[in-house]
Amino acid sequence: MTDAAMEISGLNRNDRFTRGSRLVDALSKTGLLLAILAVVAYGSFASPAFFTTGNLLNVLTSMSIVGIVVVGMTFVLVVGGLADLSVPATIACGAILSLGLQPLIGPVPAFVLAVALAGLIGLLNGVLVGYVGINPIIATLGVGTIGLGIVQAAVGGVIVYGSNTASAEFAKGRLLGIPVVVLIFLVIALIGHFVLSRSFWGRWTLATGGNYNAAEASAVPVKAVKAGAFVITALASGVSGGLLGLTLQSARPLIGSGYEFSAITAVVVGGVSIIGGFGSVPRAIAGLIFVQLLTNVMVLQGVRTPIQGFVLGILIVGAVGMDAALRKRGVV
Amino acid sequence: MVHQEINLVPDLTVAENVYLGRMPGKWSYLRKGEMVRKAAAVLDELGAAINPRERLGNLSISQQQLVEIAKAYAAQPRIIVLDEPTSSLSEHETAALFRILRKMRDDGIAIVYISHRLKEVLEIADEVTVLRDGSMIETRPIEGITAGAMIRLMVGREVSNVFPKSAAEIGASVLRVERIGDGASFRDVSFDVRAGEILGLTGLVGAARSEVARAIFGLSRIVEGSVSINGRKVVISSPSAAVRAGIAYVPEDRKGDGIVPGMSVRENISLPILRRLTSFGRIRGSADRSLSALYVKQFSISPPDGERRINLLSGGNQQKAVIAKWLAAKPAVLILDEPTRGVDVGAKAEIHHIIGQLVADGMAVVMISSELPEILGVCDRVVVMRDGRASQPLTRAEFSEERIMALATGEEAA
Repeated sequence: MTDAAMEISGLNRNDRFTRGSRLVDALSKTGLLLAILAVVAYGSFASPAFFTTGNLLNVLTSMSIVGIVVVGMTFVLVVGGLADLSVPATIACGAILSLGLQPLIGPVPAFVLAVALAGLIGLLNGVLVGYVGINPIIATLGVGTIGLGIVQAAVGGVIVYGSNTASAEFAKGRLLGIPVVVLIFLVIALIGHFVLSRSFWGRWTLATGGNYNAAEASAVPVKAVKAGAFVITALASGVSGGLLGLTLQSARPLIGSGYEFSAITAVVVGGVSIIGGFGSVPRAIAGLIFVQLLTNVMVLQGVRTPIQGFVLGILIVGAVGMDAALRKRGVV
Repeated sequence: MVHQEINLVPDLTVAENVYLGRMPGKWSYLRKGEMVRKAAAVLDELGAAINPRERLGNLSISQQQLVEIAKAYAAQPRIIVLDEPTSSLSEHETAALFRILRKMRDDGIAIVYISHRLKEVLEIADEVTVLRDGSMIETRPIEGITAGAMIRLMVGREVSNVFPKSAAEIGASVLRVERIGDGASFRDVSFDVRAGEILGLTGLVGAARSEVARAIFGLSRIVEGSVSINGRKVVISSPSAAVRAGIAYVPEDRKGDGIVPGMSVRENISLPILRRLTSFGRIRGSADRSLSALYVKQFSISPPDGERRINLLSGGNQQKAVIAKWLAAKPAVLILDEPTRGVDVGAKAEIHHIIGQLVADGMAVVMISSELPEILGVCDRVVVMRDGRASQPLTRAEFSEERIMALATGEEAA
């Protein structure tokens, strides 16, 4: 009976969309792959430097550092936590501490401690967002600024250099011809994908993002799940920062600036919903590959930096707009 | 068009809601005074005692419903479609609404009144059209039809008893709450439910029935009194603690609290007991699928596809899935908050049948409902709430429509 009323007012479009949306549905799944292929095709056609092992390995390596953050950021968006803006601070924390503590406790404990302290920043984010209920943008911005301040004060605002050559060799090295950083990224991406799509924690994350109240009324520990997404992102950023420090062998407090934007761009372009409840790690990584390749082609073509920013901005707005439109039509 | 579910902006005032999208004024300058005056006139005409400057969110659900109707009326339509307008109104307010509708009809407005409450249809309609499964069955003048005839047309077969009372064996007390209160909306509430028993919890809108249920389930805090399960005192600090103690709760607001819309029926059903389907952190796909397949079949959820996104199902089938999700947790006591609200007659009978089976298997059920015929037909005992206080339980021998209404309104006539 209620359906009848919705029909009168033209609200009940579900049926039409489940029938007519196959094309849209297929496009939303394969659109990004097609876009990546298009960029590769254009790149190899337009620039002789593009389709070379050296260039592609470069893209892959720089992509891996952001990619580790992207895996974490996917959880934040899916759980309905909007975005984590403390990423620059957690990356700096990971980079500075993993280099700065080397002379004191050795390279491996330094790395582990750096990641753990980054995780602590994430825990603070998580408590503020999940338990206290502060808007994530404000909470992570505040915590990030505080964290960055502490790290800056701790090292006296100067650049920290690496002192352990063995760890530097490892981070810059290759295994079976593949850079170690890329391998670490792949492992983290696989773990992230497994947790989000196959584990109870991932299902809880999707449910909390999909309908917070219903998840709570289904005995899902929603506050912990929400907080957990920020801890996951901070741990990932800590690892990413540590690797960045080891490869560069130097770290300054602003080493991580811009990574939050790159990560959010990748996740959103990958079609992960900014409202939460929908998304996967492979989608986010597809978004990352697309954005990174596009940037690389623009660099090779000599496109100036402001124009590059312009293009990436349009991509974000377009992706979010598309998400909103698809959601309204009930496709995703 | 007046929707079944409230479609208003809680942070705006009543007047702003009534004129939303058609506010008087020019060049984005808003003539606020004029708007408030006009809204007051409309509300007055409808006989609703609501201050147009009040923030909408401060009103009760039933007052909001009246604002919704005022909004439709203020557009001076020739046709008004009302979709289950009384689903959140008490009997008293329904009577007021009917006065308004008759007045509109006499003013020459055509009214399409959608309802599953046959009594209301018989009372208000001049002509009735019965739909079933998306097709029109029959249109008849109201004089030539009875409730029984309408039900026959709706289900396509003869239904002898709308509320079949199952004869379950009643056992020992399972859930007992003693003098509980939340420090705000209710206090001093005591009752107990026994195995195999359906305890009704009724009262007017605003009597804090749902608040009691939500507090027992750990969605809000109990500050005084005690809750015990099978004779043991329990402290329920969260829904997961409630599930561990053996309490399950099917919420009133299905769309808001019951389903995760983007997820499949399967994912919704397994949500509360996900940990039990998990080994080494990984959800066992086969256990997950067989659980949903079991309930989809047992409750004949339609379409019988666990992979379908739950928001694409009809209200009745969504509700069956929400109930299924709790049965998997094997609770000792199940609290159902308006389980048949907004579902059609066929699904309603199915849900009653499911509840009957549950108590036959020894579950204790608390059912909150505003529909007196449902309460009278299904429940073994009834507790009536008024303004956050609960009455003594009435047994089947003691309760009648008049007695319950008297307790609910506080107009006890001897």
